[in-house]
Amino acid sequence: METMLRLKGLKKNFGENAILRDISFTIEKGNVLSIIGPSGSGKSTTLRIITQLEKADDGTLEIGGRTLFRSYDGKSVYPGIKEEREIGLMTGLVFQSFNLFPHFTVLRNITEAQRAVLRRGKDEAEYKAMELLKKMGLEDKAKSYPYQLSGGQQQRVSIARALALDPAILFFDEPTSALDPELTREILKVIRSLAEERMTMAVVTHEMNFARAISDYAIFMDGGVIVEEGKPDELFLNPQMQRTRDFIASFDEA
Amino acid sequence: MQGLILQMLEGTIVSLKVFFLTLLFSLPLGFVVAKGKMTRIKPIRWLTDFYIQIMRGTPLILQLIFFYFAPFYLFGVSYDRFTACIVAFVVNYSAYFAEIYRSGLQSIDRGQHEAAKVLGFSKAYTFFVIILPQVIKRILPALGNEVITLVKDTALAQTIGVAELFRVAQTASSREFSTVPIFVAGVFYFIMNYIVSRLFTLAEKKLGYYR
Repeated sequence: METMLRLKGLKKNFGENAILRDISFTIEKGNVLSIIGPSGSGKSTTLRIITQLEKADDGTLEIGGRTLFRSYDGKSVYPGIKEEREIGLMTGLVFQSFNLFPHFTVLRNITEAQRAVLRRGKDEAEYKAMELLKKMGLEDKAKSYPYQLSGGQQQRVSIARALALDPAILFFDEPTSALDPELTREILKVIRSLAEERMTMAVVTHEMNFARAISDYAIFMDGGVIVEEGKPDELFLNPQMQRTRDFIASFDEA
Repeated sequence: MQGLILQMLEGTIVSLKVFFLTLLFSLPLGFVVAKGKMTRIKPIRWLTDFYIQIMRGTPLILQLIFFYFAPFYLFGVSYDRFTACIVAFVVNYSAYFAEIYRSGLQSIDRGQHEAAKVLGFSKAYTFFVIILPQVIKRILPALGNEVITLVKDTALAQTIGVAELFRVAQTASSREFSTVPIFVAGVFYFIMNYIVSRLFTLAEKKLGYYR
């Protein structure tokens, strides 16, 4: 199997605080990785480093055979702006808070980066956007503004916006945490259909059943380390570590 | 009466020159100052902060006098009073605009920058196409206030002898032993500001298509 992402020995400090102590995992092409864990465990920071919203302090990361940073002398070394940008175009990120551009229509939210970054023509970008909107069941919302949409619809637009750039791997940072259960289901359905199309993805989520159902591999993080990892059925149904058991049990109680 | 109105129109043109030239320079300069106040480079931030404190903490009338007379007392050179007046207004208003811009820039959610970064937009593109339009929408009311104040502040230009509208009115008033010219000037200012506030309302409406 082809490896899409290989992360090794990632470390990150914010001031005195070690947020990530030693994170390593790989994602195979066409697979879905889910990352679970309590708040402050470093899940989001890991995604933010991979998608270049934060810099790594130490570690090595390869995406699609290219190196975003390499551990050298206890520090991660980046390759320079051009290479970083190109690698960045291979990754997409869906935020918890959608972060749509409020002054653009739904359509322009999806076409703007295609045109300005990928230099696609107007027709091509709009065709692609409409295809994605159809897929999201939102083709009638192309002319709407984000404020006119429900949270679930906004999140679907933001997924379409990320997919429009044809990322090799798509990351989700708690994509349903701002949504009520009904809207959460909308989004989970979309992610599930992407998984069925063999889109390579990594999902940070608190939806345990969902994570178990869609992912090929699962990681439980706490305190900046990976406490336990494995096949989702094993990790969720038969966790070996007490910390993992406690965490998963806390969801059953709730 | 006709002669008076004609004189006052001439004064109005001077006032309008002060008004537009001040906006022309201080609106963009305010952005530079705002950036200076928001930079991570401490000396620049301190310097910008000091400058804003001085501009806001002292009367504009004093600043006008300073910019007109300082070059003479310090270097023995004197320059055109109109130029001095524009310099003083621009330096003063840039400080106020900078604070308005800063409030607008800081009110934009960090997620907007992050989304733009993840989508691969360049820094310049992100600023001009993603961030700036949203900032303008948010600061319009505060900006409108400031611009209206500027219309009235142009009356201070007479301090260093610029013959703007209010100066003309005062001269006419003492010549004719009548307060009428002063009140006519008041009407002039009101009309100018009515137009300014209408324009801002229009702009706010135009940008009201999203939230």
